[in-house]
Amino acid sequence: MSSVPVAVTGLGCICAAGNNLNECLDSMFRGTRAPRPPERFFSNHPIRYPVFEVRDFSEPRHLLRTAAFGLRAAAEALSDAGLEREQLAAFKVGVCMGTTVGCAVSEETVCRAYRSGKLPDMEPMERIFRSNPASVIAREYGFAGPCQTIVNACSSGTDAVGLGAAWIRAGLCDVVLAGGADELGRITYIGFIALQIADETPCKPFDRGRKGLNLGEGAAMLVLESESVRRLRNKKARSFLTGYGSAGDAYHLTAPKPDGAGLKAALAETLAGNGTVAESIAFVNAHGTGTPDNDRVESRVLAEVLPGVPFFSTKGYTGHTLGAAGAIEAVFTAACLELGKIPANAGFVDPDPELGAAPVAQATRITGTSALSETLAFGGNNSVVMFSRGEV
Amino acid sequence: MRIAVQGIGVVGGFGSGRELFQQALVSGHTRPTTYPLIHGGVPLEIPAFRADTERLQAFVPLRALRRIDRFSRLGLLGAYLALDDAGVLSEGRQEKLGVIVATGYGATGITFAFEDTFIKDGDNCASPTYFANSVHNSVAANISILLGATGPSSTVTQFHLSVPSALQTAWLWLDEGRVDRVLFGAVDELSELIAYSFFRRYGLPPAGEMNPLRLGEESAVIGEGAAFFLLSRKAESRGGYCLLESVETGRHLRSWSPASAEELLIIGADGRRALGAGYAALAADANLACFTSHYGSSPAGPALDLAAAALMLQNGLTFPTPVSGGCDFTARVAAGGAALPTNRITCLTLGDDDGFGLIRLKQN
Repeated sequence: MSSVPVAVTGLGCICAAGNNLNECLDSMFRGTRAPRPPERFFSNHPIRYPVFEVRDFSEPRHLLRTAAFGLRAAAEALSDAGLEREQLAAFKVGVCMGTTVGCAVSEETVCRAYRSGKLPDMEPMERIFRSNPASVIAREYGFAGPCQTIVNACSSGTDAVGLGAAWIRAGLCDVVLAGGADELGRITYIGFIALQIADETPCKPFDRGRKGLNLGEGAAMLVLESESVRRLRNKKARSFLTGYGSAGDAYHLTAPKPDGAGLKAALAETLAGNGTVAESIAFVNAHGTGTPDNDRVESRVLAEVLPGVPFFSTKGYTGHTLGAAGAIEAVFTAACLELGKIPANAGFVDPDPELGAAPVAQATRITGTSALSETLAFGGNNSVVMFSRGEV
Repeated sequence: MRIAVQGIGVVGGFGSGRELFQQALVSGHTRPTTYPLIHGGVPLEIPAFRADTERLQAFVPLRALRRIDRFSRLGLLGAYLALDDAGVLSEGRQEKLGVIVATGYGATGITFAFEDTFIKDGDNCASPTYFANSVHNSVAANISILLGATGPSSTVTQFHLSVPSALQTAWLWLDEGRVDRVLFGAVDELSELIAYSFFRRYGLPPAGEMNPLRLGEESAVIGEGAAFFLLSRKAESRGGYCLLESVETGRHLRSWSPASAEELLIIGADGRRALGAGYAALAADANLACFTSHYGSSPAGPALDLAAAALMLQNGLTFPTPVSGGCDFTARVAAGGAALPTNRITCLTLGDDDGFGLIRLKQN
């Protein structure tokens, strides 16, 4: 795979940790988090599982919340990159998004009405059809380049960032907005409870007492920019995307392969891209969902492939944001590399002797020039992106 | 770089497999059946091109299919047919294989069934199996699991532009050397929710038939199916159907330039009125073909357009475009059964938001 670094010139993020990237970083380094039972929807499940909802945000009636999150993060990332709407008209701009809920054709009110023999109001379905997350951003800004929504479950956001960089390298685009978005809803809330991998208490990634995940919502976007456009704008990179890898477990629809073969292959492809050695890796932003299986496999792979490299999960601050997770964590990774420090792994108190390694328990200064963000997904997808220090 | 199409697997209202697809294309007619709905409490049958997955049992033991829903079965059948067609099934585990799936709506049948479980019996009675299968990437996952494919895998949803968008990713994976081969395909299923939404949006077609080359009327008949292709870099492949020359996606396509006046343009017009004029304008002077009347309106349709193009390029013959319902296009509609007057075919798909996909193929 090509090793040509791709410049990251803008970052944007909205999730339960904050309504923009700076708010997210502030709250994570302060160690604050506030999962609560869902307020935006009702469930008659006897247990009220905590989730990480985004507060102080309303979506317009004609769009899904997922698409609206994507628009918000895209606006922040473009502003951060110093790219004005009018300026973008001169460039071929692509949009590559990851999601799960944002493309799900699952409208409970329509189902209920249909099943009860009524004539359903079809506006909720039309809202879904007009809310493809990548299309919404392209439509809003009038972009004419490629537009793709990746639906690889929890690795969607990571894969979108990796593919967006490939579009730049292949010359398909001058600028790519790459990221992911997802919203909390009843379907996923009920579904993860049914799978028995949701925690009734605030999640505890990599902790001995972990019992599962808490769902979250949000979006994050990165502005990826070709060298020719950067030269034209004399724009410095906040970071460089220097590696991407993905591989399948070919094992199970919802459980990671116990030996972590797919994750190891994805890490190997990522590191091989430009010959990065483990010693230069400053940290790993792990998937760390807080489920017993994920954290066991992931920590063992990290202990074997990148022994001694500090790692942490941010899901204790954001919840598991599904298709947005890879993008949100990629943005955090680039930002933490820039700051030279990583936050504590929220929820981790008691090391698990069954795990191969333990995450950082407090905010930690880091050294090293590169950092990784990894995701493991339903379907057996394992995806990793690598960032290297930028010029600012 | 050029990409070779080495195997084709198709499933749709015409049956399953390349042979039945080709028979339907040569005959110039495929009759839709019907799909049952309830409209305001009243039973209703709408015309539909429905696919059958029975043949999958020739490739996968029934026991292994127990927990696999119909959406995945459609995709698996397309995938196995493509690999079988390419003669690589006997190679065993496909460890260097990338898997890319395009789907407009995903696993809607099982999603609807999942909702039924908690609507009927309460939120604590939701089915975990249904939920696990409801993710859009379930087809790609099941293909990877059953084939032992440990390469990268991706699923793309861009509604009716999912196929060209996903194919662009296949191209990049091969170009960047990420994989040796890509199993690329598209799949979409008919489910109550999708069929009902379609009915409410487009109504019933006049005389129950699609007239994709008529402007100003809604004549779309909903379809389901799958089309898969085994793709590899040309330099590393032998034989095959044709070469993939380029894939272009984006918005605001204002013109289309054929390499020669005889180059064939296959359009994805499928009886949806809103897109008809766009196709007619872009194809105004083209040597035109359209085969959606064989498989209906489905986000997987552009992959079946691609399969028709590949078969024409391999055989050097044109298939007739069904025009019994009339034609309002000014383009020349290519005659069926004649020698293909060109060594190039372009497939054009238009979608929402003025989006487009252009896929160019060439004889090998």
